[in-house]
Amino acid sequence: MITFIIRRLLTAIFLLIVVSMITFGIFFLIPRLAGQNAYELATQYVGRNPTRAAILQMEAKLGLNESLPVQYWHFLSGIVAGAHYNDGPSVTYCPPPCFGYSFRSQQPVWPQMVSAMPVTVSLAIGAAILWLLGGVAIGVLSALRRGSIFDRFSMAVALAGVSLPIFFTGLISLELFSYKWPIFPNVQWVPITSNPALWARNLVLPWVTLAFLYAALYARLTRAGMLETMNEDYIRTARAKGLRERTVVVRHGLRAALTPILTIFGMDLGLLLGGAVLTESTFSLPGLGQFTILAIQNQDFPEIMGVVLLAAFFIVVANMLVDILYAVVDPRVRTA
Amino acid sequence: MLAVLALAACSSSSTGTGGGGSSPSSSAAAGGAAAFNAGNTGVVNPSSTKTDATLNYAMSSTPDSLDPGNTYYAWTWNFSRLYATPLMTYKSCPGACGNTLVPGLATAPGTQSADGLTWTYHIKSGLKFSDGEPITSADVKYAIERTYDRSVLENGPNYFQTLLGDPKYPGPYKDPKGDLTSITTPDATTIVFHLVSPFPDFNYVAAIPQTAPVPQDKDTGANYQLDPVSSGPYMFQSYTLNKEAVLVDNPNWVPTEDPQAEQLVSKITLTLNVNADDIDNRLLAGDLDVDAAGTGVQAAARAKILSSPTLMKSADVAPGNRLWFVYLNTKVAPLTNLACRQAIEYAANKTDLQTALGGPYAGGSIASTTLLPGMPGYTSFDDYKALSQPTGDITDAKAALAKCGQPNGFTVGVAYRSDRPKEVAEAQALQAALAKVGITTQLHGYPSGSYYSDFAGSPNYVHTHDLGIDFGGWSPDWPDGYGMLDELVNGNTIVPAGNTNISEENNPQINALFTDAAKPTTSPAQQAADYGQIDKLVMGDAVILPEVYGKGLLYRGSDLTNVYAYAPFGMYNYAVLGKS
Repeated sequence: MITFIIRRLLTAIFLLIVVSMITFGIFFLIPRLAGQNAYELATQYVGRNPTRAAILQMEAKLGLNESLPVQYWHFLSGIVAGAHYNDGPSVTYCPPPCFGYSFRSQQPVWPQMVSAMPVTVSLAIGAAILWLLGGVAIGVLSALRRGSIFDRFSMAVALAGVSLPIFFTGLISLELFSYKWPIFPNVQWVPITSNPALWARNLVLPWVTLAFLYAALYARLTRAGMLETMNEDYIRTARAKGLRERTVVVRHGLRAALTPILTIFGMDLGLLLGGAVLTESTFSLPGLGQFTILAIQNQDFPEIMGVVLLAAFFIVVANMLVDILYAVVDPRVRTA
Repeated sequence: MLAVLALAACSSSSTGTGGGGSSPSSSAAAGGAAAFNAGNTGVVNPSSTKTDATLNYAMSSTPDSLDPGNTYYAWTWNFSRLYATPLMTYKSCPGACGNTLVPGLATAPGTQSADGLTWTYHIKSGLKFSDGEPITSADVKYAIERTYDRSVLENGPNYFQTLLGDPKYPGPYKDPKGDLTSITTPDATTIVFHLVSPFPDFNYVAAIPQTAPVPQDKDTGANYQLDPVSSGPYMFQSYTLNKEAVLVDNPNWVPTEDPQAEQLVSKITLTLNVNADDIDNRLLAGDLDVDAAGTGVQAAARAKILSSPTLMKSADVAPGNRLWFVYLNTKVAPLTNLACRQAIEYAANKTDLQTALGGPYAGGSIASTTLLPGMPGYTSFDDYKALSQPTGDITDAKAALAKCGQPNGFTVGVAYRSDRPKEVAEAQALQAALAKVGITTQLHGYPSGSYYSDFAGSPNYVHTHDLGIDFGGWSPDWPDGYGMLDELVNGNTIVPAGNTNISEENNPQINALFTDAAKPTTSPAQQAADYGQIDKLVMGDAVILPEVYGKGLLYRGSDLTNVYAYAPFGMYNYAVLGKS
């Protein structure tokens, strides 16, 4: 098991390095290949009507006049060893992991991401609990009541859930429950440490909106898995042995059907922790998703690098945890 | 779909008794009462009562910086007056009155020397920063010095670098022992600016927030934006990048020394990155007080407001301090011929251009001049029947074409910013209008980030790509003819990159008028007359096709007091707002 975990860790680190190289290549190399030189790149970050001297100064400050391998090295070494930054009257040390400084705001990227993380984590975890509990429960009940009105109705709602885009359901929920009937007025981020009740109240609509999409998927997945599992011989055997129906369904049926759901859950949660872009934009939540959009709009390369790496980290870690969980659930996986 | 239709039906009736029907005519406020466009001519809900309320602003993006020395947007210049008092400022009053320059930190407008090379200001004595330290002339000098380091403070305008000497001064960060010798401070309340050449508009430059004092020992360079030391009625309590800024009362602010600002609430919040439609919905629901951007509501909210007489009472179609227009380049054939340019002026359908920009409420009113109404020297004239025949004058256009030797029309390239949906619509509208008289246009879209640096603003590129028609817009840094016209039509401002005189207008008569207006001996009345004459000559040369005087449909939060459209920034005056 230890060897298995170490193997997965090393693979994860390798993957993150590859992702960083590809991302760096996309945002730092491609503009050069398209004909933009360092001076032209720097022009975007010097405000309006800049003088030539000002552009050259900014070019040097942002390191755009250095070769790409050197720029990449500075980026990587900053993550591991930190970096120094001239903020005007003094030189500040940016401790590791240092993802550099925003080209626009000249503020360190990592603290900005750390500041955005609680928003995304709150949104993702809350929605994940809702969609997992709700989706799996509905899927199990639908499978057990196959062909019933409940089954048909819940699958129809599930179809709507996967068909309707988040920005649509989000805007509808805001229009109805925030503006028209102010049950959840003024939806905006409130830290849990500041006011737990308001934190939860303001996240209900985003949670439900996000969970609606995923719950629909999980309900359908669970139902399909359960239908397959409940027809297995060992389920008939379990019933024949006189086990209670709840034990048969949960311990034998659902456990087997959960394997693919776990896989997908790991990927979904990992993706969301990197930023639920549409949900955060719709509800104006200042999380990593919104941070990503701003970084791209502003062509703020350090911020883009930081948020892409962080998102990749979450996905890699989530999948690694899922793999480990598999090994716990299914001993055959450990020796594979 | 049913839910959407139901919502649409519900929302159109809004919260009032009305729904649909014609909009009420605008009327001046009676005693400050709310009415459509009341904020354009009077103060709505006037009040000098201080409350414990929190005034809530929201913004759909992030500011370039909240450091008063490092920002170049109208809304931040307006907002910064809450915590940063520049040497000069604008009078806090509605209408054209708001364009009047008055002292801020200074005791009086600057005194210009006879040769125009020196401007002297005296700072009010006894003023303090929010931390209790006295404000001196050295703090104003330092505030300007720090803006010289463009690698740290890259956003603000560079007027001081241009007007003062010391072109090689690198700023106090790179040269801590250095000194910007073109600014002297003979005593704690006197500051003297030494210019390289006369500049009669210097009082306007002194109104830029870069002159708001900054104590050198509290300056943190690029980090100063997070907690600037206040010289205004409010001060920063907290600022989390990309999220929220919170301001509270500045206990050391002296209201009698700063009559252009008020301290009527106990807290101000500025929430960032709020979805633009969400901002509008919160405004309409009363959960938000001000849309900080101040450019007007989005299309969905505009439809709601304009279809409800009740909601319209809280709305103003405020002049946006901006002109949208088209450059007609004088070096690209056949626009080298005046009559060919005049043909375009006549043929353009100004109504369609106005519609492309958002219509009369969101775009603006059809323009016929390059000076904005209310600016010194502005007079209304209509050389090309933009006002009398806004859908275009085909007859005169064809006559002009015949005169320029192109009776069947000609082909010319058009440059526009492809990532601006309105500009795309403008270009298409112009193309359709010109086609009616035989002028064929080839549309070329460019990214707005490099439009001026690499494409339309590069005369060489314009010539080699035959971009005779180029879309643009201008919001002056200050409300006079220099601020509006110098960069657009002064022949001396043509540069090889980042050029804003895209028409390459180089009329000796116009250039001479600019020179005359810049003389220290020229009176303000003569200056105004000069700029008015420039306006007429520019239109006579047909190098600018004015589209609209920009406007925006603003919505006043229901609890706001002291609300009015503020001319210098084209939005409500943030320095005086209160809340009941």
